[in-house]
Amino acid sequence: MIRFLLFSMKRAWEGFWRNIVMSLAATATMVLMLLLLAGLLIVVTGLNAGLDYFESKVEVTAFVRDGASQARISEVMDKVRAMPDVAGVAFVAKDEAIQRFREYNAARGQTDLTDVLPWNPLPASIEVDLADPLVYAQVANTLKDERDVVENVVENQSVVNALLTVTNTMRLGGTVVLGLVGITVFFIVINTIRLAVVARAREIEIMRLVGASDAFIRWPFVFEGIFVGLLGAVVTLGLLVLAYEPLSRVMFALFEVLPLRFGEFVLRDVALVVVAAGVALGGLGSYVSVRSYLRG
Amino acid sequence: MTIATSSSTAAAAAEEGVPAPALTPIVALHAVTKVYAPGRAALTEVNLFIPEGDFVFLVGPSGAGKTTLIKLLIRDELPTSGQVIVAGQDLARVKGRDVPRLRRKVGTVFQDYKLLPNKDVYENVAFALEVTGTPGRIIRPAVERVLAIVGLTLAAKQLPAQLSGGEQQRTAIARALVHEPKVIIADEPTGNLDPLIAWEIIQLLLRINELGTTVLMATHNADVVTALRKRVVALEDGHVVRDEVGGAYHREYW
Repeated sequence: MIRFLLFSMKRAWEGFWRNIVMSLAATATMVLMLLLLAGLLIVVTGLNAGLDYFESKVEVTAFVRDGASQARISEVMDKVRAMPDVAGVAFVAKDEAIQRFREYNAARGQTDLTDVLPWNPLPASIEVDLADPLVYAQVANTLKDERDVVENVVENQSVVNALLTVTNTMRLGGTVVLGLVGITVFFIVINTIRLAVVARAREIEIMRLVGASDAFIRWPFVFEGIFVGLLGAVVTLGLLVLAYEPLSRVMFALFEVLPLRFGEFVLRDVALVVVAAGVALGGLGSYVSVRSYLRG
Repeated sequence: MTIATSSSTAAAAAEEGVPAPALTPIVALHAVTKVYAPGRAALTEVNLFIPEGDFVFLVGPSGAGKTTLIKLLIRDELPTSGQVIVAGQDLARVKGRDVPRLRRKVGTVFQDYKLLPNKDVYENVAFALEVTGTPGRIIRPAVERVLAIVGLTLAAKQLPAQLSGGEQQRTAIARALVHEPKVIIADEPTGNLDPLIAWEIIQLLLRINELGTTVLMATHNADVVTALRKRVVALEDGHVVRDEVGGAYHREYW
């Protein structure tokens, strides 16, 4: 077994250097394809993070009847808090509401007329943050049913729906493009590796004639493919690190709302994907290419 | 004398399930038919019995089925019907993963040598052992032994491109020998060589045969076949039209 591994590694190494032009061509293709994949992955991840941010801004606001008891209000809030995908429930008292209104008007430079009113016209409200905007209707209805506490619920289901349609379409679009590019990369890399294997069809034929078992024929090629994939992944990651600074600036400019630690998450994920894709494509490409020679 | 009698007796014995007495068949074909495309048979009802230690020429015009026969013997193809037995194994029953082990019992030599151009003579021969997982300490003496047999000890470090055609073919023969096969199958081994070198290769195969290895050689070389008066099996249109010991390349009437 150890001899077999040593033999395979040695043959893979030999194969790489004896066919250096072919090997470099395969590695270069691998690098370009991995760069394409990594770049797209970064953009799509950024897009999704941005969409998540917008979706997290969806909230349900319910106006509370002026006479509702504090105990009942707490009860309703607890009930909503227990629902799935509810991120937080907050109570905004009448005083706080008018305070906000004044700040809002001041910010817009409008004259504050609330002072002239003898009483506070704004109702208290319950504000519900949603983890997933899909539960909007559910939460809104639950609040509406508590008639003794809730006067009415701010009706912006249609806005939520529009937002969801847009974000879902963009997510789907990102995934589809990523998938298409992934398939393209898959076929291009496998074809390139196939060329390198075809160039050595004679070697495979001779190995078969002298009684080499399939494993002895296959694994050196698979190891060579993995080697090409690893080399390609390392070069790709090197280029990405060089491009990291300017790239992240563009990303933050493009999606202003990205969380601060976005950069390192993406880099770690992309590094994993690039190495995994390189190794898998290289190994699989060789495996598939040699397979057609081992049959029959 | 013709071999036809002993051949048919062996076939009959095999059908009854009784092992053929005295002569151990290293290669036996029973009513073998191979059809590639419907209606065009490459081989039709071929019976052939080669006892251990025999030297057999396989002759016939191009397209007669020689190459198909050889492909059947190394299990590159399976017969459409009939039975092919090599080194005691029914090839139809050899599973895919056992084919490599079978190939080590059958040395093959081809017209185009099939050497790896970037490996020297020694490496080309050693390669056959390396790819079958032979330990390194066994490889060196085995390779040196067969290089001595074919007379290439001094050329061990040379690349195929630096060798003459005859030397390249001797390298291929050394590689075929290194597994100590029971039978060597040579497909037109002298096809690319001039007559003098061709004779050298034939002499080498005869010597290997004398050392106990069965040799089956497909050839167009009429002079060699006629001069040596060995067993000759002639194929024509997929049929065995002649099988005689001491035969000539062409049919002789007497």
